[in-house]
Amino acid sequence: MTAVTTRPGLAPRLTALTKIVELGPGRLDQKVLSEASALLTRAGDRLKLSSEHTVVALAGGTGSGKSSLFNAISGLELSPTGVRRPTTARTHACVWGLEGAAPLLDWLQIQWRHRFARASALDKGESQLHGLILLDLPDHDSIRALTDTEADRLIGLADLVVWVLDPQKYADASTHRRYVTDLAGHDAMTVFALNQADKLSTEELAELVIDLNDLLRREGVEHPSVVPTSAVSGRGIDSLKSVISGAVSRRRAAIHKIEADLRRLERRLTETMPVGEALSAPASVDEARRLGLTDALCDAVGVPAVGEAMENVYAERSSRWVGWPYPRWLAKFRPDPLKSLRLEDVSDEIRGITTGSVSAQAAEVSNAVQALADGLTVGMHPVWRTAVHRAARSRSSQLPKVLTEDLTEVAPELDRVPGWWRILKIWQYLLVGAFIGGLAWLAVGLTVPGQLPASLQLLGDSAALPWVGLMMASVLGLGALSGIASRNFVVLGASRERERLEREMRRRVAAVSETMVVEPVERELGRHHAFYSAMRGLSG
Amino acid sequence: MNTAMDDGRQESPGEQTLSFRAFTDESAAPPAASAADEEGPVPASASAGEPADSGASPSGDEPSDEGDKPSDEPEAPSDEPEALSDEQPSAEPEAPSDEQPSDEPEALSDEPEVPSDEQPSGEPEALSDEEALGGAEASFDEEPSGDAEALSEAEAWAELMESAALSDPGGGEPADDDLRLADDEPEGPAAVRPEPSAWHFPDPQAEQGSDDSRTGQVSDAQAVHAEPVEPAAPARPVGAEQAAVERPPVRRVEPLPPEMVAALTAALDALRESVTDLRFGLDLPGAAEARQARADLLAQLKDYVLPRVRTNTAPALIVVAGSTGAGKSTLVNSLAEKNISRTGVRRPTTGIPVLVCHPDDRQWFTKGDLLGGMRRIDKPSPEDGIGSLVVVATEKLPQGVALLDTPDIDSVVEEHHEIAHRMLDAADLWIFVTTAARYADAPAWNLLRLAKERGARLAIVLSRVQPKAREVVLKHFGRMLSEYGLGEVDRFVIGETKVVDGRLPDHEMTDLRLWLAELSVDEDRRAQAVHETLNGVLDSFRTRVPALARHLEGQVAFRTELRADVEAAYMSALAEIDKATRNGMLVHGEVLARWQDFAGSGDLMRTIQFRKRGRSGRQAPERVTAFRAALRAGLESVIVAAAHRAAEEVVARWRHRSELGGTIGAGLERPSDELVRHATRAIAAWQEHVTELVRTEGVAKRSVSKFVSFDADSLSLIFMVAMFSGGTVEGVPHRLVNALLGAESLRGIGAKALSDLRARIGMLFDEESMRYVQALDSAGIPDESTATRLYQATYNLEVAR
Repeated sequence: MTAVTTRPGLAPRLTALTKIVELGPGRLDQKVLSEASALLTRAGDRLKLSSEHTVVALAGGTGSGKSSLFNAISGLELSPTGVRRPTTARTHACVWGLEGAAPLLDWLQIQWRHRFARASALDKGESQLHGLILLDLPDHDSIRALTDTEADRLIGLADLVVWVLDPQKYADASTHRRYVTDLAGHDAMTVFALNQADKLSTEELAELVIDLNDLLRREGVEHPSVVPTSAVSGRGIDSLKSVISGAVSRRRAAIHKIEADLRRLERRLTETMPVGEALSAPASVDEARRLGLTDALCDAVGVPAVGEAMENVYAERSSRWVGWPYPRWLAKFRPDPLKSLRLEDVSDEIRGITTGSVSAQAAEVSNAVQALADGLTVGMHPVWRTAVHRAARSRSSQLPKVLTEDLTEVAPELDRVPGWWRILKIWQYLLVGAFIGGLAWLAVGLTVPGQLPASLQLLGDSAALPWVGLMMASVLGLGALSGIASRNFVVLGASRERERLEREMRRRVAAVSETMVVEPVERELGRHHAFYSAMRGLSG
Repeated sequence: MNTAMDDGRQESPGEQTLSFRAFTDESAAPPAASAADEEGPVPASASAGEPADSGASPSGDEPSDEGDKPSDEPEAPSDEPEALSDEQPSAEPEAPSDEQPSDEPEALSDEPEVPSDEQPSGEPEALSDEEALGGAEASFDEEPSGDAEALSEAEAWAELMESAALSDPGGGEPADDDLRLADDEPEGPAAVRPEPSAWHFPDPQAEQGSDDSRTGQVSDAQAVHAEPVEPAAPARPVGAEQAAVERPPVRRVEPLPPEMVAALTAALDALRESVTDLRFGLDLPGAAEARQARADLLAQLKDYVLPRVRTNTAPALIVVAGSTGAGKSTLVNSLAEKNISRTGVRRPTTGIPVLVCHPDDRQWFTKGDLLGGMRRIDKPSPEDGIGSLVVVATEKLPQGVALLDTPDIDSVVEEHHEIAHRMLDAADLWIFVTTAARYADAPAWNLLRLAKERGARLAIVLSRVQPKAREVVLKHFGRMLSEYGLGEVDRFVIGETKVVDGRLPDHEMTDLRLWLAELSVDEDRRAQAVHETLNGVLDSFRTRVPALARHLEGQVAFRTELRADVEAAYMSALAEIDKATRNGMLVHGEVLARWQDFAGSGDLMRTIQFRKRGRSGRQAPERVTAFRAALRAGLESVIVAAAHRAAEEVVARWRHRSELGGTIGAGLERPSDELVRHATRAIAAWQEHVTELVRTEGVAKRSVSKFVSFDADSLSLIFMVAMFSGGTVEGVPHRLVNALLGAESLRGIGAKALSDLRARIGMLFDEESMRYVQALDSAGIPDESTATRLYQATYNLEVAR
């Protein structure tokens, strides 16, 4: 009954349990969850009620002598005893020290007519029992008990349970399998009274006590406290009383009971959801994962391809503006295969693509989100894994649409014509004009040098003709050179443009993914973290 | 003293009467004895005074009557002889509910115990004091013990309460408490009050009849049905016993004819085979029970039914079963007069079953097939574990019956329960032992229910009954049994006595011993008991085997459902992909960008050239490759996403179906790791295939091919884009391929390409869904035909009987 190790206070652990109950729905096994919330309610109720009183329940199989023991302890014939099985069907209670007990008895749902009080207990020299509420429970193992859970309920509520065993039934599976194996950690809150000791000889009793002790130890009761009693001969009643009064006078049994219940619940919780490495799981989405998600989403939208397409289309288009005009004119004379297929409009249409269209591919988007969730949930409990996945996907049906809309705003304009293209075009045509001029000069100078009017005499100057030829050659060369140079400039500008475009698109993708994927995921991860922190807090 | 318990049914519950059948007749006074027998339960005062009452009054509502009765009753024992004569006249009116004199002969045939009165062994005529105790206890739940002590206690503490009334709003007065107390006992003090004096008689009676008291077990139920047959014979002739013995039994018992044995054996063997083939692989709710039932059935077939059918004249095996601490071993020791089974205060005491038989029967039990699976040993020793059976022979036991002491049915050692049940399955007769402290225990009643279901011949021993509590307990237990439909079962009572050297005093054992002796001597009765139990077991197969078959069918159905879930999930995944390939969803993202790149950069134009320019040049292989890769990636992502969804859906559906579904599906909620690799390979192969199609079949359109050539690689890409952007869209790619290939060949290629894609994805998904099928299979494949065979075997067994 003693040796209560100092553990962190009850309050923080109950707070942790509250947190668990709060976060549990949908994550925790329904049974464990309801057990947890039941314990929480019970603990709250019990702590609110009289701490001056200690509820001690006499539990046991039918015929083990609970009522006789009850009467022997109370010294009154309060609970009817009998030989018919089962005898007691309703719980009887006897209170030592009335004040404040009524709400507690109400909470225990003891009927009024089964409540008795030992108001005059003090004069009997039982002051140490003051504050005791002794319950005589119905049995838990008869055919009646199959449909009646009263005993079960009160065994759960009592602060201290005295298991009344007898030489016939002390090893019954109905007691041990259902209750005793569940008692680990409840040593201090459990007493085993081996009743009907008068039926045995001393040697037999000794053997039996040893056997019972062994049995209880095997079932996980580390320090079983076994008290041989006999309600008939009165033997052992005093020892049992002193064990009870020890618990009663310390006024701590209720708290110890709740602590022990908490420990048991904690064991059950850790069985279903072991803390293990759970707390080392990420509580937020780190930078690398965000980058990975953005990359994957960019791929789903085709950002690199869009950039590349823009670059290529620019280069193709620019040749019409800044390229050397002569090859273009030559190409016009080449027959167009599309024309022969009567598909001229197709090439017009292709040329007519004015804006690069951007759209997200839904399947790739969903795969990207899936991959993020997979990466985050490695080693998580399946329930949480599912939860994180669900959170990640919570808005994934709109995600492709939102991405498409958002990125279309920055889609490259493919028909954009920069001013310097026009200047270069003029320059090229100027050069073409100069070439044609030179050509005319040459023609005139070579064919009709003598018949020129005086004002144009210069054209006939044969000495100038080589210079004219030279000029024409250099104009051609200049055109070709400036075509090549400006093309290079176009490519350079396009790749710069592409970089800018890609950066912008990435920025937007990252922003969208932040609100639509990362945030819900982080909420769930936070919940996961809080849950397991509470689990840790529960164990103190 | 031995007493047959009488379920108190024949007495009106309301009566506070004592009626007991005191066979005060020694051999000297047989007529008196028989008379007493006839009128046993009818108490002088009660039955004479209130004949109507005794039959019908439902509950203790006549406190005033009872008030005066007690004064009569104490005299009852001594009054017996007179009482008998008194009772005579009242016999008829009470006939239906009481043991009737006329019933006796009838009962003999059914109820073997009674004839034992007339044992040829010529033992002193047994006294049977049958206490049929009327009681106020109408129900046994709420009522506190219903005896006088309770009441006097109640009064006593009512006084005490004056000083100790709990503060209660309604009224803390002691009077109130007292009243509540009265509420507590529905029958009320008035009803209980008379009893104390009444209960006291058995003790003198015990002394009187302790040596040879005989149990008179006459079931009222039998009495009732027997009555019309032989109405109200006023007195039983002395020779009735003999007549009764010779009377043909209800069922003609003789060794089974050999051809029937052969037929039965064949049918049973077939049944055993089909039960052996049963596998319940899926841990559905009830599977553990079904497995257990299957094991039980097999064990029972092997241990009991088959041996019993083959040699139906073998000694009867009587299995003593019951709660731990009920005194099974003590009982067996006492009956065998030899300490063969260990007794003690430790619970559970007996772990290894012990079989006791007459030396002449030993051969049968050591060599026979009965309980063939158990290893026979001579002495229990700690190293002999489960599966051993100690066989001990003793001359003290009559021939033809063997007793089997079993482990308990309710202690913490759960293996014991299993052994006990296995023993019971092999029993010809069950002796169920319980105690005054335990008779309301749930496990005990479970066992009784089992016995009833199996139709096993049953005798009940209530031991450790304290003299004080005797009547109340007997009556109460009797009523519980009647309500349970076991009112007619043979019952024996053993008082709480000092156990010396592991044995009970002789006088407690007498009637049980007689009962055994009768069984031993009366082969007909024994055979009948054996056959009844065998028939009961065979009858139980009618429900047990189909129950197994039904469970198996349930498993098969469940498995089919799970399979259907897989199919459905992957079907919808395929449909999803199909949709994605039609609605243009694929031509998004990178594919779209690459297409624009391909078209806008002029590569598209360059793929189409005039024939005269020779082989097509590969101007931009890197762009085409990228385009191709983008298409592949797009298609792949669609497949992977669909596979993810399908995998999740399968597991979700399974989990939704049952917990077991979730367990089987554990670890399968993601597609396999190879999926991506396989998908890539499949799509690459499909692209090759399409290129090949375009190359070989797309040459059509003479008018075009005369002067235009095209690059098949690029064209196949354009074709794919056209295909994926939806059939109706009149986009650039569509028009291009249409113009180049011609509508007809385009349709042909399109159909081929699509069906090829579907086939490839279908194969991928088949591989995926295979994982679930394997998971299901590894959980255990119930063979569907086994259920049919089970039904067939049951039917055949019925035919053979």
